[in-house]
Amino acid sequence: MKLSSAKVPKESKGASPIDGHNYSLHSKRRSGRTTLPVQAAEQWSVAVDMHNTNSIQPQNSHTSTSRSSDSGEPCATGNKWASRLLRECARAISDKDSTKIHHLLWMLNELASPYGDCDQKLASYFLQALFCKATESGQRCYRTLTSVAEKSHSFDSARKLILKFQEVSPWTTFGHVAANGAILEALDGEAKLHIIDISNTLCTQWPTLLEALATRNDETPHLKLTVVVTANIVRSVMKEIRQRMEKFARLMGVPFEFNVISGPNHLGELTKEALGVLEDEAVAVNCIGALRRVAVEERGAVIQMFQSLGPKVVTVVEEEADFSSTRYDFVTCFEECLRFYTLYFEMLEESFAPTSNEKLMLERECSRSIVRVLACDEGEDSTAGECERREKGSQWSDRLKEAFSPVGFSDDVVDDVKALLKRYRAGWALAQPHQDETGLYLTWKDEAVVWASAWKP
Amino acid sequence: MLEQMTEESISNGFVQNPIAGSNPPLAKKKRNLPGTPGKYIYTFYSSKLYSLKAYRFPISFSERFIMIIRWVYSKLFRFITKLPCVFHMTIWVLSDPEAEVIALSPKTLMATNRFLCEICGKGFQRDQNLQLHRRGHNLPWKLKQRTTKEARKRVYVCPEKSCVHHHPSRALGDLTGIKKHFCRKHGEKKWKCEKCSKRYAVQSDWKAHSKTCGTREYKCDCGTLFSRRDSFITHRAFCDALAEETARVNAASNMHSLATSNINYHLMGNPLGPGMAQHFSSIFKPISSNDETLDQTRRGLSLWMGQASQGHDAIGKSLQEIHQFGSVNSGSIYSDPLVSTSNAPASDYPLNWVFGNKVSSCNAEEITSTSLPLNNVKENGPQLVSVPSLFSTQHHSHQTPSANMSATALLQKAAQIGATSTDTSFLGSFATKCSSSQVQDGNKYSGLYGSNTPATTLGSDLENSANDISTLNQLQMYPAKRRHTQNEDSTGGQTRDFLGVGVQAICHPSSINGWI
Repeated sequence: MKLSSAKVPKESKGASPIDGHNYSLHSKRRSGRTTLPVQAAEQWSVAVDMHNTNSIQPQNSHTSTSRSSDSGEPCATGNKWASRLLRECARAISDKDSTKIHHLLWMLNELASPYGDCDQKLASYFLQALFCKATESGQRCYRTLTSVAEKSHSFDSARKLILKFQEVSPWTTFGHVAANGAILEALDGEAKLHIIDISNTLCTQWPTLLEALATRNDETPHLKLTVVVTANIVRSVMKEIRQRMEKFARLMGVPFEFNVISGPNHLGELTKEALGVLEDEAVAVNCIGALRRVAVEERGAVIQMFQSLGPKVVTVVEEEADFSSTRYDFVTCFEECLRFYTLYFEMLEESFAPTSNEKLMLERECSRSIVRVLACDEGEDSTAGECERREKGSQWSDRLKEAFSPVGFSDDVVDDVKALLKRYRAGWALAQPHQDETGLYLTWKDEAVVWASAWKP
Repeated sequence: MLEQMTEESISNGFVQNPIAGSNPPLAKKKRNLPGTPGKYIYTFYSSKLYSLKAYRFPISFSERFIMIIRWVYSKLFRFITKLPCVFHMTIWVLSDPEAEVIALSPKTLMATNRFLCEICGKGFQRDQNLQLHRRGHNLPWKLKQRTTKEARKRVYVCPEKSCVHHHPSRALGDLTGIKKHFCRKHGEKKWKCEKCSKRYAVQSDWKAHSKTCGTREYKCDCGTLFSRRDSFITHRAFCDALAEETARVNAASNMHSLATSNINYHLMGNPLGPGMAQHFSSIFKPISSNDETLDQTRRGLSLWMGQASQGHDAIGKSLQEIHQFGSVNSGSIYSDPLVSTSNAPASDYPLNWVFGNKVSSCNAEEITSTSLPLNNVKENGPQLVSVPSLFSTQHHSHQTPSANMSATALLQKAAQIGATSTDTSFLGSFATKCSSSQVQDGNKYSGLYGSNTPATTLGSDLENSANDISTLNQLQMYPAKRRHTQNEDSTGGQTRDFLGVGVQAICHPSSINGWI
């Protein structure tokens, strides 16, 4: 969306002279770390605000916003322009103010880059979502993105990605360690274990559990692992994973059985028979980052399904963000999205090396999520498992309390998690919740990002 | 007379038992000299015999008889320890009646100050400490002496009934030892390592562990080092090195069940699975349309290098796809591992080559566009015979090659061998046969391949620039060794000559270099 604009006079409306040059409006995407002068960005937002308040003709607003600066002046405090602009744009979209939408989108397009710094990346991915929302093409865009991702997806790349991510950040391993600890304690002493894993972690949680089973107990129990895959991307690599897991279990000396269920579109349709749950087995349900993929209306049914399996323990790990209670309110939902993904992107930025391929792939995954949440309407669900509307720990707790009662994590598990966090860079901490709440929170710079909990019937 | 006979019998019996300074008749017999390292019996009994010798001379018949009995029992004891324990008590008592079996109560074991000074009542953990302390009391000489009771050998049993060490035969000789054992096995684990949250009941264990915790490095079979145990375990579970063993085992079981696509399957070697078929299809279909395929082929091949096999049918299908796509694909496969720096180790060279060889030969069947016929490979059969024999010691799981499969079995073995070891002579032997034909193929492939690279179907700059970054990253990240050998001139050694030819021929198109 490139708007044409004439060469403009130096003075913009109501703003002090900007030291601008006349640049071509068709600047190509920049890679690298060009940052913008804060002043320029602020002038724009000021100009935009002026535009809002004064309801000036479109012509003038164009002129005021054509001051895109391509200069690479480094600026120490050139951040936060993205969030401002994005919020403005979201507001404009919800107000259906098309002119404002236009030039805000245009501005973002100029400034955004998926290879720049945090702000530029955020701007780029949210711009994509906003654009889709404005043009009502969210579903199509999402499908394109997912098919692209699936094409370039392979076992090797997925494995490398997830292992590298786990190496640099405890985002996922936090949930794994907490869940494993809870499962081991709840199923202690049982001879036949059946773990139903509803997640997309590519079974990276289970090697440590297998090792613990092999070494901790005197008699190694028999473990049956049933993996229910919800994301399409993961399905193609499950065969590889099966081989690896079986081999590894043989290596560890744990009697092991592995099943993959990727059939049902709706988790609520699963039954005991479909999962192969036998009477004499001790069942644990492990749900990592999968409940959010269930359509919001069906989440209660899914929890009932868990209950029907008769598990001894249910572990739920989810990211701490609320996209579902606000799903009818675009601006608030957008704000929440922005907040969460800003945290996430900053975390990625600090954890990975600057030119990391894995970071890029994770960011792309986020972009798909963002498009899905912001630009796709609820009613157009073609395939389940794509919802991506997260909820906060307290919200999940409310849902889960209907069928289960919370189990606190024992001190040993908490110590394990703390020891885990010590192995990563600074900034990560463990937070235990307030009075009424249950579970553990992983915090990044004092912001809760991941919530882990355990439940018993 | 009787005495003489007895002496002789005893001396015969004791011929292995060194007794020094014995009376003349005994001295005539062969025996170990004093001071030479004797057996267990020597140290155990000779002191008694010495003492007897010192005090009484000569030894009476009855005493000697007792000594014999003791000696015999001691010999038997060692033999009988394997018998059920009901005998142990008896035998042991007989063998060492001097030793005292002490069963301390748990409370006593855990008590820290077992040794009390009788003068001031101070408690000590060790006997030596108590003695040192007693010296400070300026006791008269008599009271300084230890009682004879202390001289007896003490062994301790664990008071815990379910424990192995509860039986006197499995008693431990050291008090500290039994205390530690009791704490470790049956005690509460009060000490905890902070780094890895491992728990210990004995403080010394905990201290020893915290010294080494975090410093220990774990090394995977693939060569990566880890400082953290959990990341090591997770890596190990997904490592390709793990899969190779499975690959060999599976290959052994799959060998006999293959039909027409034998050669293809075998040459592509073990590490193929149904997942691979998908990857292949994903690799080959978009190859003419997407820059990303370079990444995919790279990934696909590295996948292919190191993975377990299942479902050869899928492989056959994927090969059909290869054929359909024509030599372009094989060229891309061909160039891919050589041009790019895939993360497959250098040992994959022979596998690459073998694969490339075979693919082109498959093409020869259908497309007849290459000059590398199958019989070329068959000629190498006899050569291959020698090669597996070189490596036969390395591989444990050898399939039973049927007569039909001899060539394919050997080729497959060659592939296995290639996957696990780098033997340039092996390569070289093939190189001499095939290098000339490969040159032509290489050139042709490069031409075809080069023409395909610029096309992109995905309009987004995102993807392309991402590819640049990814290639850049891969080039940065992967070992330089492979690139070094790839970039060398083709005038190098035999191995390099062959590969160099392929590389050079394919590397020439500037489009590829432009990528990199």
